[in-house]
Amino acid sequence: MAETAILYDASKCTACKGCQIACKQWNQLPAPLTAEEYEFTKSYQGPLDLDPDTWLLMTFSEVSMDIGVEWNFMRHACFHCTDAACEMACPVGAITHKETGAVVIDQDKCIGCQYCVNNCPFSIPRAKVIGGTDYAKSFKCWQCFDRTSADKDPACVTACPTDALEYGDRAEMVAKAKARVDTLKEQGFDKAEIYGENEVGGMHTIIVAHRGLEAHGLIRDPKVPVATNLLDLAKPLSAVGVGVVVGALGFSFAMGSKYKRGEHSYDEKTDTWTIGEVE
Amino acid sequence: MTNHWIDLKNSDVLMAIGVNNAENHPISMKWVTEAKLAGAKFVVVDPRFTRSAAVADLYAPLRSGTDIAFYGGLFNYIMENNLQHDEYVKAYTTASWLVTPDYAFSDGLFSGYDTATAKYAADKATWAYQIESEEQWDTTETGKMAWVNGAGTPAFTTPTIKNAKKDLTLQDPNCVWQLMKAHYSRYTPELVSSITGTPLERLLEVYELYASTGEPGKAGSILYAMGQTQHTYGSQNVRAMAMTQLLLGNMGVAGGGVNALRGESNVQGSTDMAMLFHIIPGYMSSPTSVKHPKLADYLSAETPAGSYWTNKPKFLISLLKELYGDYATVDNDYAYDMLPKYDGSNHSHIAMFEKMYNGEMEGLFCWGQNPAQAGPNCGMERKALEKLKWLVAIDLWETETSIFWSEKANATPADIQTEVFLLPAACHYEKQGEIANSGRWIQWRYKAVEPRQDQKDDLEICTELVLKLKELYAAEGGANPEQITELTWDYLDDAGHADITKVARALNGYTVADNSLVKNFTLLAADGSTACGNWIYSGYWNNNDSNEPADQPTGARNDVDEPGEGLTEPIGSYLGWSFAWPVNRRVIYNRASADPSGKPWNENKILVKWDGTKWLRNDVPDFGFQVVDADGVATPTPPNSTAFIMVPEGAGRFFTPGMADGPFPEHYEPFEAPVENQMSSTQINPAITIYPTAAETRGTADEFPIVMTTFRLTEHWQSGVLTRNLPWLVQTMPKMFVELSRELAEEKSIVSGDNVVIENKRGAITAYAMVTDRVKPFTIGGKTVHQIGTPWHWGYAGVCSIGGSANELSPNVGDANTMIPESKAFLVNIRKQEV
Repeated sequence: MAETAILYDASKCTACKGCQIACKQWNQLPAPLTAEEYEFTKSYQGPLDLDPDTWLLMTFSEVSMDIGVEWNFMRHACFHCTDAACEMACPVGAITHKETGAVVIDQDKCIGCQYCVNNCPFSIPRAKVIGGTDYAKSFKCWQCFDRTSADKDPACVTACPTDALEYGDRAEMVAKAKARVDTLKEQGFDKAEIYGENEVGGMHTIIVAHRGLEAHGLIRDPKVPVATNLLDLAKPLSAVGVGVVVGALGFSFAMGSKYKRGEHSYDEKTDTWTIGEVE
Repeated sequence: MTNHWIDLKNSDVLMAIGVNNAENHPISMKWVTEAKLAGAKFVVVDPRFTRSAAVADLYAPLRSGTDIAFYGGLFNYIMENNLQHDEYVKAYTTASWLVTPDYAFSDGLFSGYDTATAKYAADKATWAYQIESEEQWDTTETGKMAWVNGAGTPAFTTPTIKNAKKDLTLQDPNCVWQLMKAHYSRYTPELVSSITGTPLERLLEVYELYASTGEPGKAGSILYAMGQTQHTYGSQNVRAMAMTQLLLGNMGVAGGGVNALRGESNVQGSTDMAMLFHIIPGYMSSPTSVKHPKLADYLSAETPAGSYWTNKPKFLISLLKELYGDYATVDNDYAYDMLPKYDGSNHSHIAMFEKMYNGEMEGLFCWGQNPAQAGPNCGMERKALEKLKWLVAIDLWETETSIFWSEKANATPADIQTEVFLLPAACHYEKQGEIANSGRWIQWRYKAVEPRQDQKDDLEICTELVLKLKELYAAEGGANPEQITELTWDYLDDAGHADITKVARALNGYTVADNSLVKNFTLLAADGSTACGNWIYSGYWNNNDSNEPADQPTGARNDVDEPGEGLTEPIGSYLGWSFAWPVNRRVIYNRASADPSGKPWNENKILVKWDGTKWLRNDVPDFGFQVVDADGVATPTPPNSTAFIMVPEGAGRFFTPGMADGPFPEHYEPFEAPVENQMSSTQINPAITIYPTAAETRGTADEFPIVMTTFRLTEHWQSGVLTRNLPWLVQTMPKMFVELSRELAEEKSIVSGDNVVIENKRGAITAYAMVTDRVKPFTIGGKTVHQIGTPWHWGYAGVCSIGGSANELSPNVGDANTMIPESKAFLVNIRKQEV
């Protein structure tokens, strides 16, 4: 299978959230049941942020204009980077690239260290405690690999009423996005640009941001944290034992590119992790 | 919609006004987006900056309730600058028709107004055309109307054809064109801007862009919904849209039309089936004891002299034959006497609840309706429900209505004697049947799963009820028992359960003698030989060889868009997909898509085209395009200038005696307005009915200076009964809120997230404040007017999300023609809730 990508064209998006619900439905991700568990978000964005049960979130931001606003929408979900910090950081190989380019967490292998959570430059993976364990495993969009490997589009793509979402061969999606950016520029969207073609080694979500990356809340020129690369280098050692990697991690924390967390520790005898406190 | 969803892609300019289609009709944006990709412009005119506005090429804010001022200004702009589609206007509209010199208009009032009754004269004598000549129907043996004298056809007085005087130069001061020009010359851009609050430059930008569709070959589409209709002049808003489209030659063309985006998947079907007090199935008037005590009265009064409606007797008699079967004969006037006749007074939702409030009703069936939350002034409606002896609520969930008596509703159960039944209904996946979408497509849907437990589908519930009534009337008699005992209800399967395919057969119509389905309504007769439950549906279930829905036109699923014979390019008609009423026609009045000689205005967007010998068709023609003789040989009918076959004039109407509140739309302020009417001293629509409960709770701008409007969200649906119980949806929009401007928020010391109280004389609700620049104050007549908006999805019933109901605040006054409530513009005040 060739590399594939989801193409999200913000200029065609009406933020109907059909994709967000389709994601919930296909992946059977729960939402709270009672009114008391919900908070007012002060915006059309709901919930306010990704969480372990929300892998795709439509975001809304307003820029005031003389008449009305610029209301900018973005599909916020895993970008499926080629240089995936989460994959590099994962000490047990629970996070891998599929042949499509999708970055997938294998929850059976996940040990709950949350290095992916802490290393992702986009803060995509989120952790929650799941049945039978006392530690939190990580969750995020997996580009519906069960569907794509059966030659079906990801659930979010199928729900889009305006074809703002497409799925297909990555090179083709990139070409479409570029052509669309050209058209949008001709139509007066001077800041229109493509996102994901080259960022972090190339993403498997390609985005047309018609009002420019910043307007849509996208990080310009994202970088895999330096320490994450070190983790990746340390990985072969993991064959020797997880503890060694943990040691390497301690080092990486000391390098501290973005970490604000205390050190995690693993007790081999009891097979449990102690999650470092957030400082 | 006069057109249909897919056809939106054929448009050059789409104007969404009084509709938030991106949010409430998401699929519409598929086709709007296609149009945009092909170079079309999308304009949104709305009091709020919505998700539709977010993807629009041009957005214009407009104070809620000032649409007619906006249209009046547009007419003036078009006529002053000569931007109308001239040839179209002259050929296909009533522009050249002469109106009686008795017609007058002064200071907001049209001639014929009676201040004592607060209504216009019923005969509309001063709103009539000047008559050139009169003729009678040709009912001779070889005449076109010979059927009138056929055996079995009931006698009635045939109407007189009145041919109006015309001035094709459009110069006569009494011609419709000149009257219209004079009427709207008052609507200068500056005055309109001062009324609507739309910045002048932006207003003119919108006018310029939309008027560009007046160029022959260009198409403009108007999309609307409740933002246009839920006003005391909502019907006139819709009239104004129709007039706009006639002026610019946009009616009957691909990518044009007046397109009502229906807010429920099957609300089109419910109107088609006449779930309203004033019509019976197929858009025929309900008989009244005043006007039509006997069948001959009905046929004489309701059959127009011209248009396809001249066939109305055929439709009515066929309906009666379906309702009363063999019992209906020519000798008993086809059981017309069995049809309930109402007294001619208003029995709409608002009127009904007024009666209920006054203790004049005993019981109520609420079938998928939730008036305790969704009705105007719903606090008053809950008080009205208390006066009932019994109430049956039929729904998927517990609704605000089914628990109106509970503590959740702030009621005292011990004080309420109403006996309430909640019948669990099956949802749409649990039953089969058809739904009619906004584009009039009647699409069959199969059942996916069986209903759970004791849920039943609506037809089964209805059938059990009818059969029980029949049993009781048969056993106990009573007044007019035949009305029930003779009523046809053989829509049953072998096990005695409801069989919806039998209803479908009845709606399509059949020949009584051999029970054979008719091909379509052109074969219906007024002599008792055919039966048909709803003439406009005729043709949707006409396959005599199968009873399988998939084998019927309604179940047709050819997803290839094919061009008509002799044409090369298809146009999105998809004639092989489902069935659109009438007779599978996708664009109503499509004759107007070509010039009088039959040449399409736009050769790239052909609906019909006269090639010199015959009509080429990408759609089912909406005119007599051929005559088929007894041997089945078709002779094409050459082009003429009759493009509007459903109106007696045969021409598009700029001026009409058909409205209760004036032959032209005129700007009035809402029932509750923040300012005085700048167009005239007639403040509100002078022809509306104001019931005591509405008059008592009317607020003034001194006390309640803020305009409020209500709206819906993509994330929720209607009264929220369904969606507020679905966690996935609640999570995307969890709480009731109010959108208010930064300016108003500062004035009231409110910040986003505060709990605020919104109140008027009808009630008070709380909501979270969402302070946003998407809502901005208007400058009206030099004065700052604030407007706020809230969704109306919330209420006190449900599990995942409860909150204040916007309709606690909306007034129970309605449009002069339809009585639809004025939910889109009324007055309130707002304050931060004391903690």
